[in-house]
Amino acid sequence: MTLTLLFVVLAGLAAVPGLHRLLVGPTLADRVIGLDLLFAVAIILSLTAALLSQRTVFLDVAIGLAVVGFVATLAWARLIQLRAGGESE
Amino acid sequence: MSAGISALLGWLVCGLALIILLIAALGVYRLPDALSRQHAATKAATLSLTLFALGAGLLAWDWAWTWRLILLLAILFTALPLASHALGRAAAGSNEAE
Repeated sequence: MTLTLLFVVLAGLAAVPGLHRLLVGPTLADRVIGLDLLFAVAIILSLTAALLSQRTVFLDVAIGLAVVGFVATLAWARLIQLRAGGESE
Repeated sequence: MSAGISALLGWLVCGLALIILLIAALGVYRLPDALSRQHAATKAATLSLTLFALGAGLLAWDWAWTWRLILLLAILFTALPLASHALGRAAAGSNEAE
């Protein structure tokens, strides 16, 4: 129980640089990298919630977060590419 | 495997996963440019997520958990390389344009 709360604190600590990159990152790609790290932290927090409550519902939440993070990163990468180079490819 | 050893191993692997996640966060904070930051965020975070799912599976020791965690890992292992490749290509392209 207390060990799980330590996990929550450590994951929250790892979210701080991700938030920093998301807010102040010099390029657009840096912001997406921060978002990526935040998704990883969210998946780990969701698994921790599953461990803490002993319910499998939070594992489904983690699977959903993984899919949403994948689509979000792909969409942002496409947007960055379109904005930078136009339709060069 | 007895329940005690499995639980101990699960806690250890989960703790290791959190330490690796913190190293990934440190890399995202400290590294100099976007591509190296992405290298830290993608590879270390993937290892951390894998280890944490393994630890959660060892802690729960239940098939209802195991197949969901295997599905989660399968999605992550297909999605993360694709997404990071697209993002890396976009970042490299925007660096060349600047």
